Amino acid sequence: MGKKRKHSETQVEAPVKKDESAPERPKRTLMGWKDKGEVKESDSQGFRNKEKVMITCSRRINYRYRHLMLNMVSLLPHCKKDNKVESRSSNGATLNELIELRSCSSCLFFECRKHQDLYLWMARCPGGPSVKFLVNAVHTMEELKLTGNHLKGSRPILTFSANFEKDAHWKLMKEVITQIFGTPKEYRKSKPYYDHVFVFSIVDDHIWFRNYQITVPHNESDKVARGGLDKMTLVEVGPRFCLNPIKIFGGSFGGPTLYENPFYISPNQIRALEKRQKAGKYAKKVKAKTRRKMHELSNPLEPDEFADMWKD
Amino acid sequence: MAPPGKESSFLEEDLMEDDYIESESESGSEEEERDVKLVEPSKNAIFNRDGLIEKLNDITWPEDVEWVHRLSIDIDQEKEVDVNDDLARELAFYTQALEGTRQAFEKLQSMGLPFLRPSDYYAEMVKTDVHMEKVKGRLLAEKKKIEEAEERKKAREAKRLAKEIQAEKLKERAKQKKQEIEAVKKWRKQRQRNGFPETGKDSELDLAFEDGKAFERSNKKRPGVSPGDRSGGKARQGGGFKGKKGKNREFRNSKFGFGGGKGLKKQNTAETTNDLRGFNQGSAAGNKKRKR
Repeated sequence: MGKKRKHSETQVEAPVKKDESAPERPKRTLMGWKDKGEVKESDSQGFRNKEKVMITCSRRINYRYRHLMLNMVSLLPHCKKDNKVESRSSNGATLNELIELRSCSSCLFFECRKHQDLYLWMARCPGGPSVKFLVNAVHTMEELKLTGNHLKGSRPILTFSANFEKDAHWKLMKEVITQIFGTPKEYRKSKPYYDHVFVFSIVDDHIWFRNYQITVPHNESDKVARGGLDKMTLVEVGPRFCLNPIKIFGGSFGGPTLYENPFYISPNQIRALEKRQKAGKYAKKVKAKTRRKMHELSNPLEPDEFADMWKD
Repeated sequence: MAPPGKESSFLEEDLMEDDYIESESESGSEEEERDVKLVEPSKNAIFNRDGLIEKLNDITWPEDVEWVHRLSIDIDQEKEVDVNDDLARELAFYTQALEGTRQAFEKLQSMGLPFLRPSDYYAEMVKTDVHMEKVKGRLLAEKKKIEEAEERKKAREAKRLAKEIQAEKLKERAKQKKQEIEAVKKWRKQRQRNGFPETGKDSELDLAFEDGKAFERSNKKRPGVSPGDRSGGKARQGGGFKGKKGKNREFRNSKFGFGGGKGLKKQNTAETTNDLRGFNQGSAAGNKKRKR
């Protein structure tokens, strides 16, 4: 009960903040309510991205999904990895507390259910929205087919397909993704060069993620040879995954549902359906047999006039 | 904001989701697992556009933030990509990435920021050296495999070609021989027509050419010679001075060989297989008995 109250508190907090920030949005920074005075006197020069992402996962996670999580940790220098969280008892409030404890502003939570389904939560922490995805088609960076490599901690270039602008929920997801996956400029653990690019593309209502290394033939430090940009090639580094959005919530890890994917079926449902189909096989056979029998009984064969022709 | 959605916590949400699914259970499609989705959108799905936009405005960065902070680029996909066509899909992602990188680099270049890593800049990489070694090993192994296959293919091709060439050569030779024989015949006729006196020597020579077959080795097997016989049946005829050795010995020598390698001696030919003299007919009957 106590947890619930806390939860509703954060709920109350969110709209208040919104009211403050809505009229003068351009002046806001990421942490607008914290250093408001500073922001007001300075314009974009003073903008400082202080994004911190907490990455964690539920207990009893699969090794494959754990590796995916670790890959994300190595890709995002501005993240803090936390201990596994108990999935069942983890409700929004505890996770929010944890994020606050680690002084992070957003969270990637890998939730594994039944050792096979991976859900990814992307949440902005204090007042967030949070998005829940189903993850499929996972390929980790350890796979030997992905031959690229890049600096650890270099800032990624984020590319989005144009259909992220199509609807409000995609826009929101895009914003959340840019804030979580973009490494803050001049972040202390980041490196000053750009040698990899993230792809977020919506195909078939799923968000596909790819990570490529950029290789450009060049001789000096940052002078690209003439036409060097044309000769640029990309090598995939990994990981790969595909996100199927399920829901968007107003708060972080909870709150009012803002969006629900109308096409989504949970994997449990799919498995149940498959099982039912498989189970139906025998029943169908039996049914067919009885039906045949009924049919034969109802229309008996005519007596064959030639039956004893050869019996002389 | 007053969203139609209920106040739901982390756990409640799942329960809700499950029974909402329960009602939809019959309409599930049976594609492969990762592409399964509802055929038609469920009606009671929540879509609170105002709430979404409000939230979006709430979290976005100020609009005048420089692009360097964001580093994001939108790329227009020209055409719809078929999800199930892996190659097309990956190509679309690749082109998106490539286009995006190009634009980003142009922007960075115009800003005068360094963006390429200098060749003497060493730092920790995402993948460890050990891992990259593995990747390299795999690539090399793959390359080797391909090369080997290529070599095998080439050898096969060469063998085939050599065979063809050999056949060609044989044909050529036969043709030449025929021509030569023809020429000689002609010459002989001409000579006869011209009325040259035929000396004994000449006639002997002519006899040798008589029907042109002297040049060809006869392919016909000599009747009594077994296939492996190296003496060409001569051992059988026997030298006159070895009168002591009986017929038997000679026959055996010709049959089983006398000196020399075993070579093709022990191979069956059509003749030997059809020759059933060596078998005892009685024993076949015995076999039958045994079968019973």
